[in-house]
Amino acid sequence: MTLPQNQSPAEFEYYVNATSIEEACRALGDGVGTILAGGSDLWVQKDEGVKIFGPRLINISRVDELAEISIGNDHVRLGARVTMTDILNHGELGNIAPGLLEAANRFASPQIRNVATVGGNFANASPAADSVIPLICLDAEIELARLDGNAVAIRSIPSADFFTGPGKTVRTDDELITAISFKPRDGKSLARFFKSGPRPALEISIVSLGIAADILDGKLSNVRIALGAVAPIPFRARKTEALIEGQKIDDKLIHAALECLVSEISPIGDVRGSKWYRQHLARTYLQEALTDVA
Amino acid sequence: MNKIIEKEEIVGARIAKLDAPEKVTGRTRYINDMVLPRMLYAKIFRTDRVHAKILKIDVSKAEALPGVHAVITAADTPDGKIGVIKDNPPLKGDKVRCIRDELAAIAADTEEICDAALRLVEVEYEDLEPVFTCEDALKPGAPVIDEERPDNIAMGQNFSHGDISEGEKASDHIVEGAYNVHYVTHCNMGTSCCIADISASGKVTLYSQSQYPYIMKMDLAPALDIHPGDLRIVQPPVGGAFGSKLDVYPNEPICILLAKKTRRPVKLTYSREEEFIVSPTRQPVEFKIRAGMTSDGIFTFREVDSFLNNGGYTSWGATTPYVTMRTCTSHYVVPHVSYSARAVYTNNPFAGSFRGYGNVQATWCVEIHVDKMAEVANLDPIEIRLRNANEPNSITPQGSDLGCIDLVGCINIAAEKSGFLEKWKTNRATWDDGERYKRGIGIATSLHNAGGAKIHKSDGCGTILTMDDYARVTVMTGASDIGQGSDTVIAQIVAQELGVPIRDITIINNDTALGPWDVGVHASRTTYIAGNSAKRAAIDARGQLLSAAEKQSNVTADLLDLRGGYVVQADNGEVVIEIAKLLRQIHFAGEDSTLVMATDYYEPPTEPEDKDHMGDMSAAYSHAAHVAEIVVDTLTGEIRIEKIWSVQDVGKIINLNGLEGQIEGGIAMGIGFGLHENMQIEEGIVKNPSFRDYHLVTAPEMPPIDMTFIETDDHEGPEGAKGIAELPTIVIAPAIGNAFFNATGVWIDHPPLTPEKVARAIWERDNPNLAAE
Ligand SMILES: Cc1cc2nc3c(=O)[nH]c(=O)nc-3n(C[C@H](O)[C@H](O)[C@H](O)COP(=O)(O)OP(=O)(O)OC[C@H]3O[C@@H](n4cnc5c(N)ncnc54)[C@H](O)[C@@H]3O)c2cc1C
Repeated sequence: MTLPQNQSPAEFEYYVNATSIEEACRALGDGVGTILAGGSDLWVQKDEGVKIFGPRLINISRVDELAEISIGNDHVRLGARVTMTDILNHGELGNIAPGLLEAANRFASPQIRNVATVGGNFANASPAADSVIPLICLDAEIELARLDGNAVAIRSIPSADFFTGPGKTVRTDDELITAISFKPRDGKSLARFFKSGPRPALEISIVSLGIAADILDGKLSNVRIALGAVAPIPFRARKTEALIEGQKIDDKLIHAALECLVSEISPIGDVRGSKWYRQHLARTYLQEALTDVA
Repeated sequence: MNKIIEKEEIVGARIAKLDAPEKVTGRTRYINDMVLPRMLYAKIFRTDRVHAKILKIDVSKAEALPGVHAVITAADTPDGKIGVIKDNPPLKGDKVRCIRDELAAIAADTEEICDAALRLVEVEYEDLEPVFTCEDALKPGAPVIDEERPDNIAMGQNFSHGDISEGEKASDHIVEGAYNVHYVTHCNMGTSCCIADISASGKVTLYSQSQYPYIMKMDLAPALDIHPGDLRIVQPPVGGAFGSKLDVYPNEPICILLAKKTRRPVKLTYSREEEFIVSPTRQPVEFKIRAGMTSDGIFTFREVDSFLNNGGYTSWGATTPYVTMRTCTSHYVVPHVSYSARAVYTNNPFAGSFRGYGNVQATWCVEIHVDKMAEVANLDPIEIRLRNANEPNSITPQGSDLGCIDLVGCINIAAEKSGFLEKWKTNRATWDDGERYKRGIGIATSLHNAGGAKIHKSDGCGTILTMDDYARVTVMTGASDIGQGSDTVIAQIVAQELGVPIRDITIINNDTALGPWDVGVHASRTTYIAGNSAKRAAIDARGQLLSAAEKQSNVTADLLDLRGGYVVQADNGEVVIEIAKLLRQIHFAGEDSTLVMATDYYEPPTEPEDKDHMGDMSAAYSHAAHVAEIVVDTLTGEIRIEKIWSVQDVGKIINLNGLEGQIEGGIAMGIGFGLHENMQIEEGIVKNPSFRDYHLVTAPEMPPIDMTFIETDDHEGPEGAKGIAELPTIVIAPAIGNAFFNATGVWIDHPPLTPEKVARAIWERDNPNLAAE
């Protein structure tokens, strides 16, 4: 291990202060630009020498289209530049996506929440990214934009397919994340988010767990369980989901679900927690979510 | 009739710290903010090995980089070493002993050029077998860390009093325990920084964060091959020190040597990561304790053996047994005691002094053990402590006169205010109720020096006090204020004697060329020692003023008083003359002209310990009791502190604001130590050198603190005050540890009580056959 040896100050050659999606995509066109949103990952990683800037730094903080939250009847769309504070301050989102609200609430500290964007949280692709977990539970889709000839072309990727490794996604170098969108669940539903840490602020998840499901007659359906920091990418616990799907929630099922979850995840041990503790926390959170339903 | 002025009590009041307005408005110019004309920046090349022979250091490419002004290695530096037993060469030329070792240093136009030059330094090593634990380092044939000490023992202390075998005979129960106290570090908000500036005639000015500027001159000089008298230490405002700046570390001589080589001022600042890896830690200790008692819970003997992981070099960490020893032998009345400590070289980072100075470690060990003994004796934690409490004016096994202490008062008030016993009983009844969340309450107490600590031949402090023509007072004190608020306390004491407003007092304490000598800020000593010196100088100046006033009026000095900027008649407060006017009259009085000036050097009535560790090294002692009430999540292992009760013998309150600030800050630090902070060192390497993974307590987790101050009115302390700064950090962690047992029936012997450790301990109790892997 060596001490930090900072890069020289001349990390990028051009700075683009984009004001529209098109302008940002144009600047990204040759795939050698670095996007700057809130900077709460980017600057830290630059200082640590983990991230090296491309020759063009593209600031998207002035792209107003990216800051919109729109709520339709069966469609919710969060612009990529929506911050955690925006989520917390939005009057309706909390009812529609309580898990997301809880994740934003447990996210970093007020200072960081003011700048940290949901697009940045996805693009950075940390296995511990908090806002990603409840959004995966909502089957969210990631909208990616790029310049195709002279027009902006958009594609949509299911969140569960978006991540490919720590810091890696299916996004190509010329693509901008423009929004995260999801269908709100209607009827009675379960949406919880759990995150480790005795500190109410500034805690990187040792483990996080999100669960969403429709509730009918004590049974859960359309179950989604996602975990952070137990695998190289945000993890969908599909076996456990299947085990719970359509079943009556009782002690026996809870017990089986916890066993299944622990066998399904294989976290690493590191400075933040051992493998045992990560499994133990995952089990604890699922137990709490299911016990509260039963 | 003349104006009447009432007497104002400045001592004991709630006074904002004098530096508060500057600090809260962001105007304070810390050393990190300073820039001198023509200044260069420096950085240190550090090894990435833990134990290796250095075969070759090639700095030629770094030297050739444009913008680099000098590169130095051991080859360019004097042979003198630094550290408590002079075992640390500022730049290492022969071998590397721990991860942070300094091999070369660069001075350049900018920090960025330094960084680029660092990447060009080339080193060839031959790795040596490393050793990381005391146990391994003491094995025959273990790798030798310091060739001058082939047994790997850096320092050792032994003390005994009475006869342990007698104590064993008198015992109905003997309780054994082992407690390992972990690595934590100071986390000063201002990272380490110094600026060296050398005059054409070769005199060195070092802008430094030092807590002991006067002795520092003596410690630095050999490493520079200069006369200590040619060193001047200037201390701009310090962004925290907490004991970490009580020694010379390699950055300071290196910075001076670079300034010497380049003939320009040089500034050397640590990054945060460097601060974590390089600055000293609290001394980790492995304790083994055996202690006996009668069936009534009266202590009969206590035997403590301890090992200190010394790391690669020796700083003050190895001397913490001098304080640890007192707690192990003298906290509570124990007729037969023995204590031993060995500081053992390893290839780990090394420790320095840190608020509490060995007593954080000792109090964890003794206080958790006392609760374990209470369980065996079937007593509650209050009763066992009261039965064994030290009495006022008793003499400890080491020969210290405890003076006007009030341990019994501390315990009783803490128990009463917190409703301890009832909660304690209720909580125990819930151990097996299957509930996820458990409440616990715990108490701990501690004994600490509160009137200096004579570890050098003098434990004194000097003061020079002058008054100008406007009755503004300048107090030059040897005592450094590293943020603890001693400037304000000194100003209060002086303002009280001289009857001038506190804002008319300027404290100068940041330059060894101006101030008279002082040992340094440590051992909770500044209010006591510097306060006494300032008080005596102020009394002298007061006498000069009053006798001048006597000559001007027809009232004798003993009937006069100084209040609100005036000389007044003591009985009715009637103004005699404005002090400023009086000062001008005596200043411009022809041949009799004079100024009011006073000097003082206060030496406390204490003695250094002899070779057998006998001696009364502090002029006062004090206790505190803390009660913590917690809630444990038995599944996640998270502990939330609901409330803390703190009761402390403070002698006499001088500044209520400062006192509360010290208690709160000390408790925050103590909670961090007890619950969260943990330098994870694996094979000599610090794994979590950032605030992301090294968790300090943040504001939202700070519980409400109910504070009670006992005023025992120390006969020697200034205005009756005792030193108060370290106790709050010392006592809280074992109170939390004991509360954890009260909540769960499970002991955790080794701090910190991190969520994982707690969850695992409970899981292992509940699943004895399924031990967590
Ligand atoms: C003190 C601190 C605490 C933190 N705590 C948490 C926490 O509790 N939970 C958590 O999940 N994270 C936490 N983080 C990490 C960080 O705040 C989040 O990941 C945040 O969401 C990143 O968003 P940003 O806008 O700041 O991204 P930036 O730093 O601006 O960008 C991050 C990465 O994403 C890319 N990028 C950004 N926007 C786009 C886009 N629209 N399209 C394509 N690429 C894009 C950037 O090029 C960069 O590589 C913390 C960080 C800090 C410094």
